[in-house]
Amino acid sequence: MTAAPDARLFDLGYRSYDGPREPPERALATLAEFTARRVLGLGRGGRHKVLPAITLAIAFLPALASVLFSVIAEDIGVDELISYGEYTFFIGSALALFTSLLAPEALCPDRRSGMLGLYLAGPLDRTRYLAAKGAAVVGVMLLITIGPLLFMFAAFVLAGHGPSLGDAPLLLVRIVASGIATALLYAALSMAVSSFTTRRAAAAVATVLLLAVPASVVRSAIESADAPNALDLLSFPFVAAELSYRIFGEMPDHDSPVTKLSTPVVAAGLAAAVALGFLVCWLRYRRLESFR
Amino acid sequence: MAERAPTVISARGVVKRYGQTVALAGLDADIGPGITGLLGSNGAGKTTFISLVLGLRSRDGGELTVQGRDPATAGIEVRQRIGYAPEHHDLPAELSATDLVRHLAEMHLLPRRAAIQRANDALWLVGLGEERFRPVATMSTGQRQRVKLAAAIAHDPELVLLDEPTDGLDPVQRTEMLALIRRIGSEFGMHILVSSHHLEEVERICDAVVIVEAGEVVHAATLADVRRGPEGLVVEVDERADELASVLAARGFEVTRDGDVLVLGAAQDAYDAVRDAVADLGVGLRRLEPRGRTLEDVYLGTSA
Repeated sequence: MTAAPDARLFDLGYRSYDGPREPPERALATLAEFTARRVLGLGRGGRHKVLPAITLAIAFLPALASVLFSVIAEDIGVDELISYGEYTFFIGSALALFTSLLAPEALCPDRRSGMLGLYLAGPLDRTRYLAAKGAAVVGVMLLITIGPLLFMFAAFVLAGHGPSLGDAPLLLVRIVASGIATALLYAALSMAVSSFTTRRAAAAVATVLLLAVPASVVRSAIESADAPNALDLLSFPFVAAELSYRIFGEMPDHDSPVTKLSTPVVAAGLAAAVALGFLVCWLRYRRLESFR
Repeated sequence: MAERAPTVISARGVVKRYGQTVALAGLDADIGPGITGLLGSNGAGKTTFISLVLGLRSRDGGELTVQGRDPATAGIEVRQRIGYAPEHHDLPAELSATDLVRHLAEMHLLPRRAAIQRANDALWLVGLGEERFRPVATMSTGQRQRVKLAAAIAHDPELVLLDEPTDGLDPVQRTEMLALIRRIGSEFGMHILVSSHHLEEVERICDAVVIVEAGEVVHAATLADVRRGPEGLVVEVDERADELASVLAARGFEVTRDGDVLVLGAAQDAYDAVRDAVADLGVGLRRLEPRGRTLEDVYLGTSA
């Protein structure tokens, strides 16, 4: 048997690599994408997809119901549909579910499995590592906080309930601003809690307590002991919901201490919580023993 | 190590403390190209030194450069060309070996397509080609060690740091792993620093050794220098070693005796003299060989 004169040998096996290499910043994007996919259960077994699917379903359900209602009931008024401003309040359970059960997946397993040491042995430092993880958590949260509103916006426009052409850009800016503010708050809280434990279950319980306990304690204190309303800034879910109302220029249909605060105070309270959450996480990781 | 090529890692008076505990007490070492063994007992400071090489811990004193860069100030530049396999066997359980190695290759800045290709190539090289799609959780300790090695070399680093790469392996797996490390170091041009507390492993695969005890380098040399040792002959006989020693001494040889073993200093015609003396006395000759040193001799000498 004679070989063809132009025969070549492919698949030479392992050999030195002299091809292109990405810049160091690429490691952040790689880690952020990898983390976001893991949080959403992509590329993982079926059981890892259940919770993300439930969370997204809860987040999109009010928008879907509102759109269907507007299409089916022809004589419905816009004020009878779920407003953009109150949407954050409506999806509180989806946000809590994501923050407590899914977001810890971004940080906890890396320390538990030793991956943190392998990451930091590459072209990352702790700050870049946390930046990538934060970007992943915020990015996935934006699916929940912005996704349903954009869907509702598009559907309302198509159904004739949408804003005028002139008002549309401002509404889109408000949707993005509200979504980012809410996503940042919940992501910061989740990352702060996750930085204290390697166990997702412990992080989930602690996150639920962080969302529920301060709110009930400060509200009791305000109602029974005339504590200042500003203490209600520790009611994190209500602060996010209240800021959404303010961003969309709406008034909530319920009365609570946080509604009595000015918009700058509410915004500053949320910004402080975001900064504190990320700072706690960063400080924890700065001291963390990653090498073993 | 004077005849070796320029250093890959240079340490001068490196100090690292954990509170009151001194882990590295002024460590000096020049680690050259090829495969170098970082030898020392548990707690000697090997893993601490590796963490400083990676720039993952800050040192409390001294100077350290890795390929000319200080990992404390240029950690990202240093680490992007280093491959590292940790001592622990914990890896993300549900990831397949190929997904894990590909991901870490991407994290070391290979483009995605290259990372996929090289992850597969690296896993085939370490003998896990057929197993590469298996979740790491289902793999044995030996297979996990191989996965870590594949992850350390997939991005074709210039320097590979292997922390106790044979830990948890049975004798057969250990032999295979050592052969693999030797092959990677000799065929693919990577410099390898292997941390181990097994003398025979270092002796079998390394070009040089740095012995660390209590946070200090107590001996550093090429293995060729270690083996060369003092000149002379070792003679072992069945019986009457004292008489043989006397005969050889009477013929002008410098002789020291340890039981039935005699050590002759370097001299011309030593082989002939031993042959004649043994024949004259009519004793059985068990061993006649050039005097040399093993790494064990050096290690025990330094730790005595």
